[in-house]
Amino acid sequence: MTKAFFHKILFLVSTVLFFGACTDQPVDPDGLLITGRSQCYMSFFDLLGSDHRTVLVSGTTVIDTVAQTVKAVARFGTNLQRVKPYSSVVTDALVEPKMGVWVDFSKPMEYTVISGNRQIRKKYTVTVTVQQ
Amino acid sequence: MKTNTSYLWAVLVGLLGLTSCDNTTVEVQEPLKNDLLKKTTGPAVIGTRVEFVYAIGATEGNLQNVKAEASIAGAKGTGFSGFSWFTDRATGVDKPLLTASDTITNGAVSTAKIIDVNNKAVSLRYFYAVPEEARGQTFSVKFSGTSSAGKEVTISSPTYQVSKMDMSRLIVLEDAKKAYFSIADMTAYTKEEVDQKNLSGKIDFVYVYRPTISTYAFGHAMVSLANKSYINDLALPAAWTKAATKLDKRVDIRDAQLRGGGFDSYIDDIDLQQTTFPNAADYAYGFAADQGAFVTSADGTYVAYIFVNAVNNTAKTMTVSIKRLKIK
Repeated sequence: MTKAFFHKILFLVSTVLFFGACTDQPVDPDGLLITGRSQCYMSFFDLLGSDHRTVLVSGTTVIDTVAQTVKAVARFGTNLQRVKPYSSVVTDALVEPKMGVWVDFSKPMEYTVISGNRQIRKKYTVTVTVQQ
Repeated sequence: MKTNTSYLWAVLVGLLGLTSCDNTTVEVQEPLKNDLLKKTTGPAVIGTRVEFVYAIGATEGNLQNVKAEASIAGAKGTGFSGFSWFTDRATGVDKPLLTASDTITNGAVSTAKIIDVNNKAVSLRYFYAVPEEARGQTFSVKFSGTSSAGKEVTISSPTYQVSKMDMSRLIVLEDAKKAYFSIADMTAYTKEEVDQKNLSGKIDFVYVYRPTISTYAFGHAMVSLANKSYINDLALPAAWTKAATKLDKRVDIRDAQLRGGGFDSYIDDIDLQQTTFPNAADYAYGFAADQGAFVTSADGTYVAYIFVNAVNNTAKTMTVSIKRLKIK
């Protein structure tokens, strides 16, 4: 009785391990999961100064997901040549080139949002002006 | 019967195992012992003091003398303090207790005499004032103590790196007065002094306080003389050298040495060596207390961190402290 019970348990565990090992979700070169989601848009944008505090004037950032533009206003005195952008995108999507690095925003910058299934690509133009 | 024998074997093996673990060694009690603790956690900067606690205790006789020998003779202020400290149980406040006299420093050697003949154990503070001769080098301290029983003990500290950087604290900058700051001199000058002594080439930034500019908040600022936006009203002489210093504001670096305590975080040589200024501005503004900026002189000779200790909107002043490293 006990021996048979252990055999059943062993069989169940082996089955679970076997099917678990067969899981083969595709990942991109960065190790991020490629999913079935086709949504592709940017939902939030922020810009940090050298002190790692936002330089954007609250409530002025406009993200147009149809025109694929982001327009934001930085505070008076902001040095746009040394800022670090951050954004939020729809679930499983990603942004190229990568944000979170120091860049020069004194001219409009282009970022491409790529959907979770990596099939849809939308190029956003981000324009930041400084209060004058 | 067979089962009982198995149990018996198991118990015997268990007992053998337990007895084999009994491996107690009894150390011979030394009649005189000492130990060492370094209290200072920050980098050893020239002009600061590194604090040690030297503890010594005797089971035979009484404590007599203690000695500390530094590998590089300390600056003025090096030596033992005559006081030990204890925590008042009622208040939780540390209180001093005079336990040593004749605290003398002669060159690299500091000595003290334990004054209470009944003292069996004391912990004395030893301060090593980091001298200019130690800049960029390492130092260590060898402590020793004697008892009336004729015993002597010694203990040596590890070696500690001395910073190459300089530090200066609590420099008051005044808008339109002592506002022109030189990293090379770690000093603020007036416009007249800069003019008369021909110092414009050494001025890295000017301090200005403008509550607003064009209706926007600006506040306390450090502005390079090369800036063309925020100091036009200063009417700087055309003949002045106007170097484009780079400044990078920070709000989260609260160096304990510059601040005077409060946070156990420190800027050391490596921070100034590795800080880079790609596309950094020639100004930094909106300063409040506990904020600061990494600054590099226009020719890259110096990199500094300037910490804001206090600002005063009414007096239009900003009190700063600086750590500076010569890179070139």
